[in-house]
Amino acid sequence: MNHKKYLKLALVGFVLFSATAVITSCGDPKKVEETEEEPVDAAKDNLVSVNGELFSIPSPLQTSILLKSSGANYSKDILNLTSHLPSYSTEYKKALNLGVYGADLGYVIIYGQTQDALGYLNASKRLADDINVSGAFDANLMKRFEKNMGNNDSLLAIFTSGYRATDSYLKNNDRNAVSGMVITGGWIESLYFTLNILDKDFKNKNVIIQRVGEQKNTLDHVIKLLTPFYQNPDMTELTELTDALLELYHEFEDIEVKYTFVKPTTDVANKITTINSKTDVKITDEQLKNITEKLSAIRQMIIN
Amino acid sequence: MIRKFTIALALIAAFISVSNKAVAQCDTVANACVRHMTNKYISDGQHYRALLLDKEIAEFQSTFYGGTTYRIAACSGLGDGNIVFRIFDKERNLLFDNSEQKYAPYWDFKFVSTLDCTIEAQIIPSKAPSGCAVMMISFKQ
Repeated sequence: MNHKKYLKLALVGFVLFSATAVITSCGDPKKVEETEEEPVDAAKDNLVSVNGELFSIPSPLQTSILLKSSGANYSKDILNLTSHLPSYSTEYKKALNLGVYGADLGYVIIYGQTQDALGYLNASKRLADDINVSGAFDANLMKRFEKNMGNNDSLLAIFTSGYRATDSYLKNNDRNAVSGMVITGGWIESLYFTLNILDKDFKNKNVIIQRVGEQKNTLDHVIKLLTPFYQNPDMTELTELTDALLELYHEFEDIEVKYTFVKPTTDVANKITTINSKTDVKITDEQLKNITEKLSAIRQMIIN
Repeated sequence: MIRKFTIALALIAAFISVSNKAVAQCDTVANACVRHMTNKYISDGQHYRALLLDKEIAEFQSTFYGGTTYRIAACSGLGDGNIVFRIFDKERNLLFDNSEQKYAPYWDFKFVSTLDCTIEAQIIPSKAPSGCAVMMISFKQ
């Protein structure tokens, strides 16, 4: 027996074993020296990223809720057609449009348009199955959805559980690029709703315009979510998308955002804290126009 | 040759076993944590988990929209009160610290205005030296 080769093999195995035992996500935690009396403290040295990403992207549902509460009418023509589904042949297109159809599904549910909901749910299921997200939209979920048609609260709970299961499965299996694409697709679609609804006639447009400006930081987070895969030779389309999002970010850069800290107030009995701090966004018509053009072009790129 | 192959196989099996165990532990914690999200709250559709050792702190950035009430739950293990979580604004002002609320496993937040925040979560050392930390974010319709 060759002892040197045996030791090398054992060493490789030990390294693999140890690496798995530390953490499943990307990150480089540093240890802080322990003392008996050291309090639980937010020492920066101990920070780790969660699931290989550092960011949470707001749910597209929140945009749909805002549009409805602002008085905007349901507009089916802003949604991605389910007839586009057969044309999505790559994992890239499938993952992005799983996010897009998810945003569309949330929109139709919020507006109570259940006659359109089943089509978007079926499209989401088909894409989830195609990208091998095992069981996220299983037969039980589909059955529960059909059974609860007309009960919007139940439909929302059921469909968000499907998307969370999708995200969970992807991250547990280190398919972070696909997870990022699903989230990005949903964000692009929800911003598209927001921008296109501004053409329509309704009362509270200022709130919607403010929401567009507030996307500056979220877009920064979306780009950072995709950055680990930038210029990966196996992901050229994702690199092109990231470049397009960077171009879009240039249009957000000059948007004025003013933040003022105000002390929060806590109601202990009801376990609620009101965060009183204020963010004021100033966005010009020109900035809005440029953002609309660039975002629409990106959306066309992913749905066609 | 066969002996080398057997050793390699055993090491790979151990590698997969530890990895699967970590995922299973997190699944168990997540299933226990979801009870803090009642029907009034809609999940944000994302999945936040980290395996933390010693005094490691999980940190992530989030945007919370104005005019919305959120519920944030943070769990580790099967019981409550094992995690400390804190929320900071972008100027590093402390907005909330659950250690001031008896390590409550969840709390509601009403945002007057849209804010970009940082959430930090750490397993309380006296409770467990390490484990899976799960965070959930939901919002009220």
